[in-house]
Amino acid sequence: MAVLDSISTGKRSVADRPPPVPRKRYPKWATRAPLLPALIFLIIVTQLPFVATLVISFMKWNSLDPAGRGFAGIDNYVNVFTDPDLRSSVVNTIVLTASVVLISLLLGLGLALLLDKKFAGRGFVRTMLIAPFLVVPVASALIWKHVLYNPEYGLFNGVLNWLGFDAQPDWISTMPMTAVVASLVWQWTPFMMLILLAGLQSKPVEPVEAARIDGASPFQVFRYLTFPHLRQYLELGGLLGSIYIVQNFDAVFTITSGGLGTANLPYMIYQTFYQAHEYGEASAAGVIVVAGSIVIATFALRVVSSLFKEAK
Amino acid sequence: MTATLAKPPADIAWEPEQPRRKRNVGGFLNWVATHALGLALGLMFATPVVFVFLTAVMSDDQAFTADLWPREWHWENFVEVFDKAPLFQYLVNSLTYSLLATAGMLISSIPAAYALAKLQWRGRNVAFILVIGAMMLPPQVVAVPLYDTWSSLGLTGTLWPLIVPYFLFDAFSIFLLRQFMLTIPQSYVDAARVDGCSEFQALVRIIVPMAKPGIAATALFCFLFTWNDYFGPLLYTGEVKDQWTLSLALATFKGMHIVQWNSSMAVTFLTMIPAVVLFVFAQKSFVKGITFTGVKG
Repeated sequence: MAVLDSISTGKRSVADRPPPVPRKRYPKWATRAPLLPALIFLIIVTQLPFVATLVISFMKWNSLDPAGRGFAGIDNYVNVFTDPDLRSSVVNTIVLTASVVLISLLLGLGLALLLDKKFAGRGFVRTMLIAPFLVVPVASALIWKHVLYNPEYGLFNGVLNWLGFDAQPDWISTMPMTAVVASLVWQWTPFMMLILLAGLQSKPVEPVEAARIDGASPFQVFRYLTFPHLRQYLELGGLLGSIYIVQNFDAVFTITSGGLGTANLPYMIYQTFYQAHEYGEASAAGVIVVAGSIVIATFALRVVSSLFKEAK
Repeated sequence: MTATLAKPPADIAWEPEQPRRKRNVGGFLNWVATHALGLALGLMFATPVVFVFLTAVMSDDQAFTADLWPREWHWENFVEVFDKAPLFQYLVNSLTYSLLATAGMLISSIPAAYALAKLQWRGRNVAFILVIGAMMLPPQVVAVPLYDTWSSLGLTGTLWPLIVPYFLFDAFSIFLLRQFMLTIPQSYVDAARVDGCSEFQALVRIIVPMAKPGIAATALFCFLFTWNDYFGPLLYTGEVKDQWTLSLALATFKGMHIVQWNSSMAVTFLTMIPAVVLFVFAQKSFVKGITFTGVKG
């Protein structure tokens, strides 16, 4: 994993570094003092809100009923786990994140491999492919909801009609989750493609040439040279994509308004907090998201890295 | 900040160095397949955006049909939307949020990234793990205590709760900048120290100039993220219309002032412009920065 590797590179650079140079002009603390504020802020700003969330998650706190504020024990957690809506939102978050990241990584990989070839009009195709990345996400969700999915004047049914099909399905109510996933895949594939394309183009050419001369098939070249090289770029894309898609709010809020069984956790927290004013419960749900994503991330990292170890 | 972003890279085209391959018997079929596939996929991804544009220039009535091509070209739609909603106000709000947040991010994150990448100190790895942890924390999770704090300061209903944190800390930017700074050899910093630079001078004179592509990419990311942000403005300014940003206004646009679909699409198209301009100018830095390919590129 790129991130974990880079933590250890910190140690490696200690060994590589020349012995420390004796400093004469400034004492050690004075040279570092300017950096202290950032570090102190770093620790306070990152950790305090989460600690506060943790505390609130054990409190009974509805902002409409300030007098009833008090210690609630694990009530909020019990509520979160017994509330079927909240439970399904946990499942939705996982389904949404996993499917969007995987599909857009695969599509992005295919597109990056295609764009790595030289062909006339490649720049034009690349520009077209990047377009979704430059649309404001909320606009992208609106585009999908109204321009593409709309049963009366949407592009999908327009094309179906033009092709001579009579069917005019209402896409969002027939397949709500797929509708949300498709819009997010459209939005995220260009990002994955950019990362993977940069990875492909930083690949040294000589080993590939050598392998070709030795009679390696294009598939073998991909499997044993290109893929291992791309690994860290795939991980980077997966990591960044997961971070942003777990917290995705725009698409769910705009396309389905959390209805039709597509509400994910960010949406549920928003609702609990902003509409039901249940601060305690919203915090408990948040803590569960964090705990869950840590467990899943650790597990996923183990699985992925063990897969790669076998591949080596 | 703007100076860094606005400076056009020498070679925007960003072509890979690859020897031309010999065409064999299957070469022609391969050529056709590549072109057809490239064009088809390109169209697939670009069509919705093109369709947005085409709808934006349609007449009010035609926009509600399934027509693909405008019968008449109503370019004035792009101008009229400014009369139908206080778009200019929203634009100013969006720019205030994005530009101040990006500036704040640069002030707070560059020194922090330097401390994580180039200084040796006890607890550095712990601090870095905290940064990664903060980066993975969905903003909705900590929304409750933060909202409560800002509300007791009387600042909810403004964009300040969204801007101020960037002057203190932005985990994602620190992460990206640190990764980029790691690719700069430690010997440069050591040399600066030998020459009597303080850490701060080493940072400003040596590291910042060398990390320019990384800084540009991080700034671009920060700008795009805040420009695109929907949850933040919705949470803090949802009920105060004159503080809305463009992305927030966009979502409520249809029901709010107008029912015309073409105007909605015109606004959608207009909101893309800053991202397109930034991306065209900073594409090379962006790719370089995000993949940490190092100072030589």
